[in-house]
Amino acid sequence: MPTCTPFALPSTLSAPPTDQAHASQLDVAGNLLSLLRTTTTEPRPDTQLEALTLAVAADLPVLLWGEPGIGKTAALTQLAAALDLPLTTVIASVHEPSDFSGLPIVGDDPAEQGVPMAPPDWAVRLVRAGRGLLFLDELSTAPPAVQAALLRLVLERRIGALQLPPGVRIVAAANPRSSAADGWELSPPLANRFVHLQWTHDHEVVVRGLGGTWPRATLPRLAPERLAEAVDFARRAVCGLLAARPKLVHQLPSSESRRGGPWPSPRSWEMTLHLTAFATASGVSRDVLSLLVRGTVGDGPGLELLASLDRLDLPDPEELLADPAGAVLPERGDLRQAVLDGVVAAVRNRPEKSRWDAAWALLVHAVETGAPDLVVVPATTLAALRREDWDVPESIEKLAGVVSLSRRADEAAARAKTARKAAR
Amino acid sequence: MPTASRAAGTTTPRPLDRDKLFTARLQAARARPYLASALFALHPVESRQVLTMAVDRYWRCYVSPVFVDRTPVEELAGVWVHEVSHLLRDHHGRGDRVARERGLTGAGERLRMNLAADCEINDDVYGDGLVKPKGVVEPGTFRLPEGQLMEEYLDDIRLGPRMQALAWLDCGSGADGLDREWDLGPDGAHGLSEQERDAVRFRVAQGIKGRPGSAPEGWQRWAEEAFHPPQPWRELLGAAVRSAASGSGAGEDYTYGRPARRSAGVPGVVLPSLRRRPPRVSVVIDTSGSVSDAELGSALLEVAAICSALGGRRDLVTVVPCDADARITHSLCRAEGIPLVGGGGTDLRTGFRAALRAQSPPDVIVVLTDGQTPWPATRPPCRTVVGLFSRPYSDGSWDENDPDYVPDRPPDWARVVEIG
Repeated sequence: MPTCTPFALPSTLSAPPTDQAHASQLDVAGNLLSLLRTTTTEPRPDTQLEALTLAVAADLPVLLWGEPGIGKTAALTQLAAALDLPLTTVIASVHEPSDFSGLPIVGDDPAEQGVPMAPPDWAVRLVRAGRGLLFLDELSTAPPAVQAALLRLVLERRIGALQLPPGVRIVAAANPRSSAADGWELSPPLANRFVHLQWTHDHEVVVRGLGGTWPRATLPRLAPERLAEAVDFARRAVCGLLAARPKLVHQLPSSESRRGGPWPSPRSWEMTLHLTAFATASGVSRDVLSLLVRGTVGDGPGLELLASLDRLDLPDPEELLADPAGAVLPERGDLRQAVLDGVVAAVRNRPEKSRWDAAWALLVHAVETGAPDLVVVPATTLAALRREDWDVPESIEKLAGVVSLSRRADEAAARAKTARKAAR
Repeated sequence: MPTASRAAGTTTPRPLDRDKLFTARLQAARARPYLASALFALHPVESRQVLTMAVDRYWRCYVSPVFVDRTPVEELAGVWVHEVSHLLRDHHGRGDRVARERGLTGAGERLRMNLAADCEINDDVYGDGLVKPKGVVEPGTFRLPEGQLMEEYLDDIRLGPRMQALAWLDCGSGADGLDREWDLGPDGAHGLSEQERDAVRFRVAQGIKGRPGSAPEGWQRWAEEAFHPPQPWRELLGAAVRSAASGSGAGEDYTYGRPARRSAGVPGVVLPSLRRRPPRVSVVIDTSGSVSDAELGSALLEVAAICSALGGRRDLVTVVPCDADARITHSLCRAEGIPLVGGGGTDLRTGFRAALRAQSPPDVIVVLTDGQTPWPATRPPCRTVVGLFSRPYSDGSWDENDPDYVPDRPPDWARVVEIG
């Protein structure tokens, strides 16, 4: 047969029987599908997945807020694989309340035996397995009675007569209030029991994933040797903040716009303490802890806790004064100034000649290693602390540049003032 | 940074005058003490690619040595404050959001964003110790009113031939969200992580809120809203009405009152069934003189739209116009003809009574009022949502017989949504 005439194949030879043609078409489709499904993964840090992992590990009820179709189920699949738990997904909106509170079974003699509430099959299997990850999807599109039954499941871990074993972890998902069709929202007492995580999609991840490469997050692992240290750190951080700011302990959300979100109460602070300990023991970034803490006690109190954690990280003024030559000051300007202010405050609290000299040495060190404008305020304050019999240390000459900097700033301010008057 | 004169092409590259740059930062921090920690958190990076000064979203500040050299200290101080304002006001994040929502792409659109962001900042950043550079972009440049937000200015700023002089303007990716070639990116040195950025912004906001009076009004408003942006009242009112109307006792829910059809297939099991009862909503409208027709109209339309979204029939929504005396109730299908006449004082208690006296009592009462009224002493037997027209300057409440009169807040049992 001549090979150069591809269109002129004799039909009697090439046409197979019709049912075979169907089969081969399906095979081709199958091949195409398997090609489409062949994707690779690449490592990529994912703060929201890390936060979810920690909250689930800490056995706190998590509520994922996110629009439908942005990969919540995919994330849960990855989480289940990482925690080595079988995943059970229950779409809340297609169930009836009795599927969660149990179906009443009327027996032969209800007065004698009572009416048992029979649990659904997935719950029985979950209890039998003793462990698993239960994902309650579409919580907010279910009718109110279903939601009520579900909340009992999430918060009390009961389905009908069954009690879920401690090895089962529960995650719920809901649509944001603005897109929930029938206006489901959490009352403040309920909202206070959840860790709220906003689930968003990353444009870059989606585009790259559809191109064939999905991200693979390395999920945090708890380090067994750091547990005691983590508990100590978390207690110090939370108690330190609440001792100084008693108003933060309990603040019921007052305005309509903060309803249904996280707010601080002793219960949610305890959750925060647990989450801080888990974050410390697994060594995750502050960004992950920020998501968790702000999702538990709300933005304001959460940010205050994070700020006080930052302060816990700063070097201790007494240690800096003891060894000014070996001091390592933070690079960031605002933190560096906070440290220098702390050092000057320490000298003010216990004024001694040696400490005063050490503080000057520190300021000189700060000028030599960073921006000079940060040193102006601490230097002025420190100079004012001088006692009559204290000699000025020689090293202070190295701060001459700072003094002239301050003077030039004053002159510029004066010029700005006159320029303004002239403009009037 | 918006100064009009173009960077002169010098032949011998000068080193960056760091002392001058930091002197300017010191002056800026002295003039604006509430921004000091944010100013000090910025990390300056010398760059010959930027024309003036530019910021990226990781709080690095790229500085042109030539620009520092030829700009007086007092003007540089203003530039510092200007650049840090872009970051504090999250212009890059907001720019990204606006670009996504409105489908804006390309450098031209980002330039418009940069201009709009400059307008938002510049109307109150200069003066009071900071010199305004020549040719700075202000709302007046585009004949626009002061005191608006970047998103609002963006609608009105058009790029035209007149804008050619501004085409070089560039405050960097921190001002509009578009990455520049000189950006060091997220992995570069001295960048601030998201959490650190939030922490700095939060500290500045707390500082302003803690010492009201030291910062101008624009910054105080920013501090109030930095971490709690106000939600549109339509969404809030909608959520409140929907949750009231779909709560237990109203609307669609399961009931054991009648067995489900599913029961037939499962003998011995009693299943609840899904029953539907559309919620009845009564809208009590304050028609006293202090509420304008436009306000009432938009709020009433909103409630009607929510009710029909709930599947409620329009005839189940009744309207009770009420000033000192509640007249008859109307059904919403005749909304066009409802006489919203009134004026004078208000007593909403009569409105509540009229709504509850109806033949079939409502599941939800929605009250639209400016709050200049006495409230019922006891909780009505249905859910109540109050849409409160905000009155920042409560001149309407002044009574010459009783100048100290302050109207009561709506009671605790009502869900209150501030409108407007």
